[in-house]
Amino acid sequence: MSGADLGHPLQLGVELPVSAADPGAAVRLARRAEELGLDLVVVADAADDGGATGAIDGGGALEAWTVLAAVAGATEQVEVATRGLRLDGRPPAVLARAVASLDHLAGGRVTPGLAAGTDGDDPDDALDALAEAVDVLRGMWAEAEPGPLVLEGRHHRVLGAPRGPSPAHNLALWLGGTLGSADAAAGARTLAARVADGWWLGAHDPDGAGARLDAVLREQAALDAALTAAGRDPREVRRGLVLDAGSTGLGGREAAAPGVAVVDDLAALVLDAGVGTLVLSGADEPALLSFAVVAAAVRDRVAAARAARGTRVGTVRSAAVRAARAPGIDYDAIPGALVGTAVEPGDAGYAAVRSTYLRGGRPGLVLRPGDTAEVVDALAYARAQDVPLAIRSGGHGISGRSTNDGGIVLDLSRMAAIEVLDVATRRVRIQPGARWGEVAAALHPYGWALTSGDYGGVGVGGLATAGGIGFLVREHGLTLDHLRAAEVVLADGSVVRVSADENADLFWGVRGAGANLGIVTSFEFEVDEVGDVGFAQLVFDASDTEQFLVDYGATLEAAPRDTTAFLIMGPPRGGIVAAQVMAMVDSDDPETIIERLNPFARIAPLLQQQVQVVPYPAVVSVPQRHTSEGEPVTRSGMAEHLTPELAADAARLVRSGATPFFQIRAAGGAVHDVPADATAYAHRSANFSIVAMGSSRRRIDAIWDAMAHHFHGTYLSFETDPRPERLADVYPGPTLERLRELKRRYDPEDVFRHNYSVAEPPAVVL
Amino acid sequence: MTDYGHDLLFGSFITPANAAPERVVGLARLSEEAGLDLATFQDHPYQPSFLDTWTLLSYVAARTERITLAPNVANLPLRPPAVLARSVASLDLLSGGRVELGLGSGAFWDAIEAMGGRRLTPGQGVDALREAITVIRALWDTSERARVDLPGDYWPVAGAKRGPAPAHPVGIWVGAYKPRMLRLTGEHADGWLPSLGYLSSLQDLDDANARIDDAAHGAGRDPRAVRRLLNVGGQLSPRRSPNLLAGPPEQWVEQLAVLALEHGVSAFIATGDDPTLLTVLGQEIAPAVRERVAAERGGSAGLAPAALVAGEQA
Repeated sequence: MSGADLGHPLQLGVELPVSAADPGAAVRLARRAEELGLDLVVVADAADDGGATGAIDGGGALEAWTVLAAVAGATEQVEVATRGLRLDGRPPAVLARAVASLDHLAGGRVTPGLAAGTDGDDPDDALDALAEAVDVLRGMWAEAEPGPLVLEGRHHRVLGAPRGPSPAHNLALWLGGTLGSADAAAGARTLAARVADGWWLGAHDPDGAGARLDAVLREQAALDAALTAAGRDPREVRRGLVLDAGSTGLGGREAAAPGVAVVDDLAALVLDAGVGTLVLSGADEPALLSFAVVAAAVRDRVAAARAARGTRVGTVRSAAVRAARAPGIDYDAIPGALVGTAVEPGDAGYAAVRSTYLRGGRPGLVLRPGDTAEVVDALAYARAQDVPLAIRSGGHGISGRSTNDGGIVLDLSRMAAIEVLDVATRRVRIQPGARWGEVAAALHPYGWALTSGDYGGVGVGGLATAGGIGFLVREHGLTLDHLRAAEVVLADGSVVRVSADENADLFWGVRGAGANLGIVTSFEFEVDEVGDVGFAQLVFDASDTEQFLVDYGATLEAAPRDTTAFLIMGPPRGGIVAAQVMAMVDSDDPETIIERLNPFARIAPLLQQQVQVVPYPAVVSVPQRHTSEGEPVTRSGMAEHLTPELAADAARLVRSGATPFFQIRAAGGAVHDVPADATAYAHRSANFSIVAMGSSRRRIDAIWDAMAHHFHGTYLSFETDPRPERLADVYPGPTLERLRELKRRYDPEDVFRHNYSVAEPPAVVL
Repeated sequence: MTDYGHDLLFGSFITPANAAPERVVGLARLSEEAGLDLATFQDHPYQPSFLDTWTLLSYVAARTERITLAPNVANLPLRPPAVLARSVASLDLLSGGRVELGLGSGAFWDAIEAMGGRRLTPGQGVDALREAITVIRALWDTSERARVDLPGDYWPVAGAKRGPAPAHPVGIWVGAYKPRMLRLTGEHADGWLPSLGYLSSLQDLDDANARIDDAAHGAGRDPRAVRRLLNVGGQLSPRRSPNLLAGPPEQWVEQLAVLALEHGVSAFIATGDDPTLLTVLGQEIAPAVRERVAAERGGSAGLAPAALVAGEQA
C-alpha cells in the first residue's frame, strides 16, 4: 500500500507549545487554531527536542495530560490529541478513565497517543509495559464485556476493576512519534501494527521536501509490512506527520507568502504517501496563520484529487470489529460524514447505544448524525440497506421501538441544542436529542418551563411527536400543543418546515404521529412562565382500592388546573395496597399548595407525605442513563373518568399481582381545550392516561382486553401490544384516515414503520 | 477555644458523576458565580461512575476565571507523586495560581488494588504519604538545580529533574482522621481537610486540632502553619433546628462562626451538590460569617499571613 493514498479523512492541525515559561501559550494557540478552522491540536509528551525537556522529565515543560484537558476546556470544536504520552507514573486503568472522562467532557474530541515509558533501562521491557497498558485501556473501555477487568501482566496488574465508561466516541488509540534507537522504533512499529488505530511517523529531519517524502515512504512501507504480517489492512491505521515550522518553509519570514510548492509537497504526502494527519510544530501565531492558508489549499487539492480518482474516504475498522458486523448492511458505504461517529457491534461504545430504557437490542449499526444534513445522509443510506430502521432521540420510549435486532438505529442524541429564539414571545428551538431534564434546566434561568413528562431522562423527539403528558398537563396541555413549527426530514430526503402556515397538513400529523411521517430535526416551541412549584409525594393506604380510585379520580377532575397528579400502584404487600401519588402544584405559595393538596389528603389514610417547594427542574432532573435487556410489556388506555366499574376492574388487576407498575396520569384539563381534530393526537376528551406494565404478555393481555370497554383510545408512547387492532385505538377513525392520506403522500414506501405504522395494510409491528 | 486566625474560605465539594458531565462543570461555574472561593472535587479513581478528577479539574480550570480548584482529596495510591507534582504545578501555571492540593493516603484498598495500585496497611499508607509529600515539594523546588534523588520504600525518585515550579506556593491539604495521619499533618502539611461527617462530634474536631498542634510544635512549626478546612454537609430549611447546619441561613451563619472562632475551622466546603445551597452560601452566608468573625476577632483579624498558610518547606 505504500506510495498510495490510504483515503483517511484529512486532518490538519498544530502542535501546541508546552513551555512552563509561557503557560498560556498552548491555550492561546489552540483557540487561534480553532478560529482558523484547523481540525486538530496536539500536545506532545515526547522529549523529542533532544531530551532537554519533556513533561515526565519535568524541567521546563508542562505536564501533557493536564495541558490537553485545559485546552479541551478552552475550545469547543477542535479535536485534541496527545502524541507520545508516556506511561511512567500513570497507572493505565486510571489513564483509561481519564481519557474517557475527557472525551465525555469535550464531546468526543479526544485522541490519545501513547508511548512507552522510560522506567528501567531495557527498551523491550518498556515496550512490553506499553503493550500491557494498551490492553488495560481497551479492556477498561470495553463496557460491554461481562465482568470486571482482570489482567495480570508483568508490568501492570489489574485485579478486577469495574469496566467503563466507554469513551464518548469511537476514539482512535495512536502510538509512535518518539525518538529512539532503530530497534526501539521497529519494536514500537510492530506493536502498533498489532494494536494501534493511528501511528505518528518518526520526527524526520529532512533535507528538503523530496527527502522527507522518501523518508515517509520508507517508514510507511515498514509499517504496512508489519500490518500485513499482523493480518491487518493498512487502511485500518491512520498516519500522522509532524512538520517543523522552521524546516518546511512554513515558519519565519517565508511564511508570509507560502508558495504553491508547499501545497504541492503537503498534498503529495497525503495523495502519494498515505499520510492523513499533518501537524505543524514549533509554530508561533504568524506561522499558524500562514499554515491555515496552506491548509485550505491542501484540503481543496486533496478533495479534488480524491474526487477525480474516486478514492473512498474513511477509516477501515479493525478485523475484530469487521468480524462482528451484521448481515445485510453495507458498512463500506456509510457516508463519510457519519463514519467517525457510527457505532458497530464490535466497537467499545456499542454497549452504551444498543439497548433502550426497557428493551434490549442488538442493532447492526448505530448512526449518530450531528446535524440535519447528516440526518439526510443517514436516512438515504439506511433506506438502501435491507434491514429494519429505528429512529431514536433519548431512547427512553416505554415500548423501546428505538432499537432493533440487526438493523440500523438513527440515534439523534448528538443533536441536543436548546436555544432561545425570542424572549418576548418565549419561543425556543430544541433539537430532538436533548433530554427533558436538560430542557428544564436550560429554561429555568428565564423563569420558563415546557411541560414534558414525569422523567428528565426522556428525549425530546419521541415525546414531542407523540403527545407529552407531564406535570403541567392540566394547566398547559400536551407538549405538542406548544409546538409552533418544526423542521422535518421526509422519507425522500427533502427537508421541510412545518407550521400552521407551511405544510399545515404535515404540521397536523407531526403532532401525534411524528414517527410515521419523518424525522423531526428541530422543534420550535412556545413555552410558559413557571417559577418554583409545589411538589408532593403522598403515599396512601389504598386497600379499599375501588373506592380510593373513584374518589381520587373525582378529586383530580375537580382540582384547579394548576394541580396535576400521577398515581402509581403495585401489588399488595402485607395485605396493603399502597398508592403513591406525585402531585405538582404550579405555585410557590405554601398556603395555595396546601389548599390544593388537602382534598387529596382526605381521600384515604396517609402512610407517608413529603411536600416541598422546588424549582421545576428538580421535578424532572436528568437521571443516569439506564438500559434493559428483554422486551417490555405494557398496555395503555385513555379514560374519561374513573368510574366505579373501571375502578373495580383496576382494583382486581392490581390485587392480582399481574402488574408490578400500574399508573394513572392526569391527561385532561387544558388538553380538552384543543379540538380532537386539531392534531393527530386525538384523545382530547380523556381525563386519565392509564398504563399497566406486565411481567407476562399473555396474562396482562387477558385482563386488559377484558377492560377494553372502559377505554377510549390508547396512548402511543405507553403501548407495546403488537396486534394490528391497536392501531385504531392509537389513531381513532378520522385521525387514521387523515394520517393514511399523509402516509401515501409523504412516505409511500413506509420507511417510517417502526412504531405503529399507519400504512395500509397495517404493517406487523415488531 | 481555638482560632488560628486565618482568613475564611468558602467552597463546594462536587461529586464528579460522569452521567451528566455538563452538570458537574456547571456546579463549578455556579460556585464561582456565587462568589465562593473554592471548587473541590472528590477523587475516587476506582469508581466507574465518576469522571477522572484530575482531568475534570484541568478542564474546569479552563472554564473558570477566579475560583481556586482542588482535589478533595487526591488518591495518592493511584496518583503517583512525581506525575501528580508536575500536574499540579502545570495546572497552577495554566490557571494563574488557582490550584491547591488536597491529598489523602487512600482508604479503599480492595478497589485500589483492583485498579493496579499497591495494597498498603494503614501504617504503610501514612509513611507512603510522608514520602510523597517530600517528593512533591522537592520537584516543585526549582531554587536548586541538582536533580532529585530520594530513595524510599514507596515512592523512590532517582535523578529526576525539578520543575515546573507552581505559579504560587501550593498548599498541601491532608485528609486525616487517625492519630498517625494527624501527626503527619501537623509535621508536614499546609492544611488539614477532614469531612465533618466522618467526625463523631465537635469534641473529635477539637481533639484532632490539639494533636495537629502538638505535632506542629514538636516539629518546630507554628500550628497556624496548618489551615483547618472542613467539608460540611447540611441543608437549608425555613425552620431552625437543633442540628448542625440544618436551618435557615441565619442559623448557618451563627454555627459557622462558632466553628471558626471556637474550633479553628477557616474553610467551609459544602457537600451535597445543591445549587441553591451553594448560591446562598456564597452570596448570603459567607459575607455574614466573615463579618461576624471579623467583629469577634476585633483588631486581630487576618493575623496569619498567607506565607504561614501555604508553601511550608519540608
